Amino acid sequence: MSPTETTAKASGPDAGKYLVFTLSGERYAVPVLAVREIIRLCPITPVATMPPHIRGVINLRGRVIPLVDLRVRFSLSAPPDHDRTCIIVTQVASAAGGKRPYAVVVDGVEEVATYDQSDLLPTPDFGGAVDVRFITGMAHAAEQVITLIDLDTVAAHDPLDALEPSITAPDTSEDA
Amino acid sequence: MVPAAKRVFFRSYDVRRAGVDNSSVAASSARHALSPMAPAMADTPAFDHLRSLLQRCALELAFVDPEGDDRRRQLQDLIAELADDISATSPPPPVQAAMEQAAEWIAAGPINQQQLARFSAWEPWMAEAITAWERGFTLPAWPAETIEAASPAGMPSQPSQSLPDENVTVLPAGTDAEFMRLFCVEAEELLQDIEQGVLTLETSPSDSDTLATVFRAFHTFKGNAGAMKLVTLQAVAHELESLLDAARRGKRLLDRNAIDTVLAGADIFSRYAAEAVHQLDGNDVGRPLPLAIPAVIASVHAVLASPSKPPPAEVAAAPATGPTATVPSKAGTPPAPDAGIPASSTAATSAAGSKSSSTPPLRSASSSAASVRVDTRKLDGLVDLVGELVIAESMVAQASLTSADEHLARLLGHLRGITRDLQRTAMSMRMVPIRGAFQKMTRLVRDTAHELGKDIRLELKGEETELDRTVIEEIGDPLVHMIRNAADHGIELPDERKAAGKPAAGTIRLEAFHEGGFVVIRLRDDGRGLDPAKLRAKAIERGLITADAQLTAREAFDMIFAPGFSTASRVTDLSGRGVGMDVVRRNIERLRGKVEIDSEPGSGTSFTIFMPLTLAIIEGLIVGVGEQRFVIPTLSVRESFRPQSDHVTTVQGRGELVDVRGRLVPLLRLGDHLGVAAGIRDPHRGIVVVVEAGHERRCLLVDELLGKQEVVIKSLGETFVSQKVFAGAAILGDGRVGLILDATALVRLSRRNTETAA
Repeated sequence: MSPTETTAKASGPDAGKYLVFTLSGERYAVPVLAVREIIRLCPITPVATMPPHIRGVINLRGRVIPLVDLRVRFSLSAPPDHDRTCIIVTQVASAAGGKRPYAVVVDGVEEVATYDQSDLLPTPDFGGAVDVRFITGMAHAAEQVITLIDLDTVAAHDPLDALEPSITAPDTSEDA
Repeated sequence: MVPAAKRVFFRSYDVRRAGVDNSSVAASSARHALSPMAPAMADTPAFDHLRSLLQRCALELAFVDPEGDDRRRQLQDLIAELADDISATSPPPPVQAAMEQAAEWIAAGPINQQQLARFSAWEPWMAEAITAWERGFTLPAWPAETIEAASPAGMPSQPSQSLPDENVTVLPAGTDAEFMRLFCVEAEELLQDIEQGVLTLETSPSDSDTLATVFRAFHTFKGNAGAMKLVTLQAVAHELESLLDAARRGKRLLDRNAIDTVLAGADIFSRYAAEAVHQLDGNDVGRPLPLAIPAVIASVHAVLASPSKPPPAEVAAAPATGPTATVPSKAGTPPAPDAGIPASSTAATSAAGSKSSSTPPLRSASSSAASVRVDTRKLDGLVDLVGELVIAESMVAQASLTSADEHLARLLGHLRGITRDLQRTAMSMRMVPIRGAFQKMTRLVRDTAHELGKDIRLELKGEETELDRTVIEEIGDPLVHMIRNAADHGIELPDERKAAGKPAAGTIRLEAFHEGGFVVIRLRDDGRGLDPAKLRAKAIERGLITADAQLTAREAFDMIFAPGFSTASRVTDLSGRGVGMDVVRRNIERLRGKVEIDSEPGSGTSFTIFMPLTLAIIEGLIVGVGEQRFVIPTLSVRESFRPQSDHVTTVQGRGELVDVRGRLVPLLRLGDHLGVAAGIRDPHRGIVVVVEAGHERRCLLVDELLGKQEVVIKSLGETFVSQKVFAGAAILGDGRVGLILDATALVRLSRRNTETAA
């Protein structure tokens, strides 16, 4: 990772309440203040031409909200959806200023945990093995290490990572 | 337009001549008091000759174009002739001096506002002086004040090129952004009233209701500018207010000069408001804005000083109509800065509040109903919620179908009625009449025709047609462009028209009406029309089509919407840079509308724009592809059918083509393009939907048609800004999200794929 990307998080994570959830067996957390609600998996409308981690859009009481699969985003193996799979609806910073809703699929919600400053560590040096753009830091509590995610950055990267609409030309030979 | 101005001019000229002894020039303080002169020449025909020369000068002055040079030369010739004739007849020294002065001015360069102001004081003085000289009366006082007013202090007698524009600090320190926005919003409304009113006054200068409306608008403006501490704007508003006050009280008739001055003043405000909004949005903050404030103030002074009086008939008419006499509750007091009107109050409240019941009924041009200003975001939120309510209601109704409870069914019916009404009302809240957008075109046509030396009438029809506020805002620019095109390229010069057996005055007709869920805006001119052969040749020359391409007349007309195409043989300031019509079409399509063109060579061209009633709702065709459903806006759908087996042909390397009524249209397998596993591979078992974008068509192969439905459009949001295939999303009847396809993007996408495949 380039130095500019890591220095952006120089302040490190803030103490406070976090919502802990699992992604492919690993534990992650986001600040609870960013969480609007947790809902069960609902019908998802896929949006073509988008990268695989963007599952599509959902209808949350009339609002059309993007749904992102954090397991795919973090290159984790994505198990098929199961009965504990759920959607966390969060608020992220909007490019236009203010907040916008943003939903993520997770493998299960664990708990709301309170971390003191002493529980928190800055993002360690993974030696370039891990994409640290989306990580604010780590929490070390109750014999567990939890990765703290910066959803604002995750959301801000979506449009940049979106593929060019480069759908392959339809193969017409089979009908010929 | 020209004949009308001529008439007005002659009328006021004659009146001025009749009222020599009580003109305002005589009343102005005399710097050079002139001594009585003995008649040096008793030859009346010679005086008549001078007078006729002077009258011709006056005529030239009335039509002088501040930018152009042609009139100036004619004026210069006339003044030279007049000077020669006058000096040949041993004139009184002041007349000789005034003549030399005029010759000096005219030689100095282009006629700017300041020059115009001087000449318009000079010319009546000369007229009086010649009469006085002829009859041996005392020569009138030299209107030094006016002439001086036109030349800023310390200026040599040689006039400068033009008055410098004043650089205005747009947002003075400590400006409250919120108030400023309100000021700008209100300014826009007031300006519309002013512009419309003034243009009405141009044809009926003594319309007291309109005069009162325009006067009030400037008055409100002045108050608002004062409250915002915009001292210079306040000063301009004050000057214009005085001018209109004089007109309102019947002291003067608004002639062409006066109207131009008022319009120039209105332009200052409009430029200011536009710049203020620009800077409030955080662009170019602190950039000073040059405004022609000194020039406008000078020209108000000049107009006020020039002795124009309404003809007796008009004077009699004004009091007879009544309202003028009752309106001016402040007529007696000099117009003073009125900081009492807070910028936040609306035009309606300030006008109604200060003028109470004596206010004459406003013309239909200005909104008369009480209104509340609401943030559009709140309105959008309400529309969203109502949309949800409609869906929730239909889901409840669906669920209760199994119940045999009659009471419940009745209650649900009642709920349904209320929900529909609520939806209609919520939708109508964003709807406004198109009048405002249309009326702006009146000014545009006036100015454009004037600039081009053409005589063009604008006919408006259906101004009360309502459509979404956003649509109206967005349709303005394309309309401006199309009207300029019609005026510039469509309508011929008067001589050319006469030669073609048409009336010298061209007509542009702009009309709006509802048709089948759309608003149709039609722009028709009676100009020279489009020549398909010429268009075709041009398109080939520009490499837009191949030389052997066969085009129908309509396809040829459509070429003017192609990027980089311009039919103008000469490039003018107004249009003809070839960037126009393709942008027009793109803008209209972006608003989910479409534009069609039709033309009859020799008798005119018509553009027909179809716009959705609102941007919030579209009528869509719901199609099923595999597991998914998509919405295709019906506006881009031409037809749909199940193809017969001989309708589909495969061209090697070019993909599949469908024979649609003898025309081969590429087939687009929607499932393949959108990465959805389609249930149907065989075109003969699916449905083909023919969509159209611009002049290109595509056949979309879908599994099934699920129906036609009005859907509330939702933006897909920031996450999806980079994708171009979907225009948005909609919540369908079962609560799922359906994506709305963008026909233009599909055409582009498939073209690229075909090219890569080929």
